[in-house]
Amino acid sequence: MSAKRLAVRGTWQSLEWRRWRELWFSLGLVALLAWLLNGMGFFEAGRLIQGTSNLARFVQEMFPPDVRILPTIAGALLETLQMAFAGTLLGFLLSFPLGVLGSRTLFPAGVVVIVRFLIAAIRTVPSLLWAVLMVIVVGLGPLAGTLALALYTVGYLAKLYAELFEAIDPEILEAMRGVGARRRHLIRFVLWPESANAILSQLLFMLEYNVRASTVLGLVGAGGIGFYMQAYLGMMAYSRLTTVLLAVLLLVISMDVLSAWLRRRYLLHP
Amino acid sequence: MTQPWITLRSEETLTLSAPAVVVKDLWFAYREGEWILRGVDLQIPAGGFWAIMGPSGAGKTTLMRILAGLLPFSRGQVLLLGHPLRGKPEPALRRLIGYIPQQLGLVRGLTALENVLLGSLARHDGWRTALGFFPRAEIERAMALLEMLDLADRAHEKVFRLSGGERQRVAIARTLMQDPQLILADEFVSDLDLPRAAQVLALVHRLVRERGLTVILNLHELQLVQEFADHVVILKEGRMVFESPAPDLTWPLFREIMEGEHEISSEITQELRR
Repeated sequence: MSAKRLAVRGTWQSLEWRRWRELWFSLGLVALLAWLLNGMGFFEAGRLIQGTSNLARFVQEMFPPDVRILPTIAGALLETLQMAFAGTLLGFLLSFPLGVLGSRTLFPAGVVVIVRFLIAAIRTVPSLLWAVLMVIVVGLGPLAGTLALALYTVGYLAKLYAELFEAIDPEILEAMRGVGARRRHLIRFVLWPESANAILSQLLFMLEYNVRASTVLGLVGAGGIGFYMQAYLGMMAYSRLTTVLLAVLLLVISMDVLSAWLRRRYLLHP
Repeated sequence: MTQPWITLRSEETLTLSAPAVVVKDLWFAYREGEWILRGVDLQIPAGGFWAIMGPSGAGKTTLMRILAGLLPFSRGQVLLLGHPLRGKPEPALRRLIGYIPQQLGLVRGLTALENVLLGSLARHDGWRTALGFFPRAEIERAMALLEMLDLADRAHEKVFRLSGGERQRVAIARTLMQDPQLILADEFVSDLDLPRAAQVLALVHRLVRERGLTVILNLHELQLVQEFADHVVILKEGRMVFESPAPDLTWPLFREIMEGEHEISSEITQELRR
């Protein structure tokens, strides 16, 4: 057999071997999933049938929705929206400087490590737990919810912003240092305008997320529509719960539409 | 804050008579032992258009960044406008040196006018400018520069909307705003087609004549060097292998230097000098 044919055969064998390896890996993943689900009782037929019939009864009781409660929940819905807006903006105001301090672009490794650790610590706590903590700190009501959302926002946005700033073209920074720009100028004239698109895009994403998240903060007494969700669930007033859920759905869709419009209207497309 | 500026200004006659750039036995490596520059010697008098040529990886960009004070070097000596360069240059010296990187280093999300104004930051480094408020006189000066470079109608356009040639001119305007004596530009016309590159270089050539500036440019195209530069040096494998007035560098000679493996070119250089 010629050397060329041998080489071709070798390539074919290594390719085939790679395909088999990918196949076995995929099968392994499926087996792992099956094992995990089995451990939770997913494959117990009796339990599944019982669950399905429970769900059917629950859905039956949810309809038709009780629209008489709309005036009652309107205020709470507005409060939810206020919490989401204020929490996101407050979080953004904290995230931007933390993002700057947490990027190696402008600050030494020592500062960056400490700030990144702080951001990671904030991110570890879920928004609902922040809400519980804030209720303890500032008492029941929308202020606790707003602060909880702000902290949760900081955990995510500060990290995303720090990474954005680190991805800025070093040549621009170099040229700016060449004209004698100081750190404050680099923040104002490079970091901000170069990342403005991504900053706004992520801010809008966070706002959408916070509108969703703020709807459940009321469960722990942190204001908003969540209070009614919990109350109607507790009273087993499922048709009223449906009204609340539909109102939240409407709110979330409106936010998505608004956010899409803002993106189209204001985001630049370089 | 104004003291160093005054000092330099009072020495202006001295600095102008001093060479713009003196490089003596300059060695540089990004990683230990892997020399990018191997004992470069170079003397560039004040006033004139100098081109640096050489194959990719010859060390042209590295030399440029060292001269711009952006890359600290360990071996050798560099004098800029008569002032020795050690570590980061003093702000007063820095503002006399304009640097245009390969991709221009413009802020794409700012307008042409805003980018030009950034050239005045060395003069106004307070918090007012950090908030985006520039003195009226500087705004007028920036507009005058844009007008001179035929960009007045594009002043309020974001840089990412400008064409390649327009961006080049914005970068020149930003550098001129700095009021430099020496301009270093790293292959800044390499993204343009030949006619556009020629337009930009003609402009640079005019500025050199009108303002008595010293411009050092990395260039790839011999045609452009022959047409616009006063003087040319060739770097190869971190060494300076050729130096002559630009018109003396002909195609056959250029090819011989670029393709030749040994340094016969130094003999040619001497011959040309004779």
